[in-house]
Amino acid sequence: MQLTDREQDGVVILQPKGKIMGGPDASLLHDKLHEVIEAGNKKVVIDLSKVDWMNSTGLGILISSYTTLRNSDGELKLANVTDKIQSLLTITKLVMVFDTYDSVEAALDALK
Amino acid sequence: MDKPSISGNTITIPSNLKYLVDVDEFIEGFLQDCGIDESVIADIAISVSELVNNAVAHGNKSSIDEPIVIAIRKTNGKVTITVTDQGSGFDPDEIDDPLADENLLKEAGRGIFIVRALMDAVDVKASDKGTTVTITKAF
Repeated sequence: MQLTDREQDGVVILQPKGKIMGGPDASLLHDKLHEVIEAGNKKVVIDLSKVDWMNSTGLGILISSYTTLRNSDGELKLANVTDKIQSLLTITKLVMVFDTYDSVEAALDALK
Repeated sequence: MDKPSISGNTITIPSNLKYLVDVDEFIEGFLQDCGIDESVIADIAISVSELVNNAVAHGNKSSIDEPIVIAIRKTNGKVTITVTDQGSGFDPDEIDDPLADENLLKEAGRGIFIVRALMDAVDVKASDKGTTVTITKAF
C-alpha cells in the first residue's frame, strides 16, 4: 500500500493506494492518520478511490480515526468509496457511522 | 522457518503479518489463473487475510517460529482454502456480535463476521495439532 497526503481549504486529504490488509502497510496509514490528528488538524478526508480492498484491519483504522477526531470536535469524511468497501460498510453496519461522498470535492464542501 | 515457502497449492509462512502480502499474491495469483471474477477474488482475498491475521495474532500468538499453512484448491466450480495454525482453536459462535450497538465502534472483532458474510461456508476444526479453518466459495 502507498499513501499520499495533501491539504486543501484547511482539510487534510489522505489517499491510500492498494490493499489495506494488516501488517506494516496498515500501520503506515494508522500512524499517518494519528500524526495528522495530533498535529491539530480537525478535518480529514480519506480518498478511497485507489484502494482495491480492505479488511477488518482497515475498518478498524477508519473507526480509530473517526473516534479520535470526534473526541476532539473534528470530522472525518470518506470519499470515492468503492463498491467493495461500500459492501463491507453495509455488512458491518458501519455505513451508519461514516459520512461518504462521491468525490473529494463533495466531501470538502460538506466540511465548509 | 524464516521466510515463506511455496509447494504446489500451499504456502507456509512464519507468524508475522509482514507476510500477508506474500499470501495475498499467492492466493490472488492462483485465482486469476483460474479466470475467476475479480469481485469474487477480492472477497476470497479479504477472507484469507482475515484468517491469516487471526492465525498470527490469536492462533500462534505472533510466535515467529510457529508456521501458518495456507492451502487452496479448485473443484467443481468452487474454491476451498484452508488456513492452519498451531493454536487451540475458537468457537465462531462465541464471538461478540460486531453489529451490537455497544460493539459498533470497536476497532477489532469483525474478522470472522466478515469471512462468514463473504464466503459460502466456514468451518473450524481444532485438534492437538492445531486449528484449521476451511472456507469455500462458489464462482
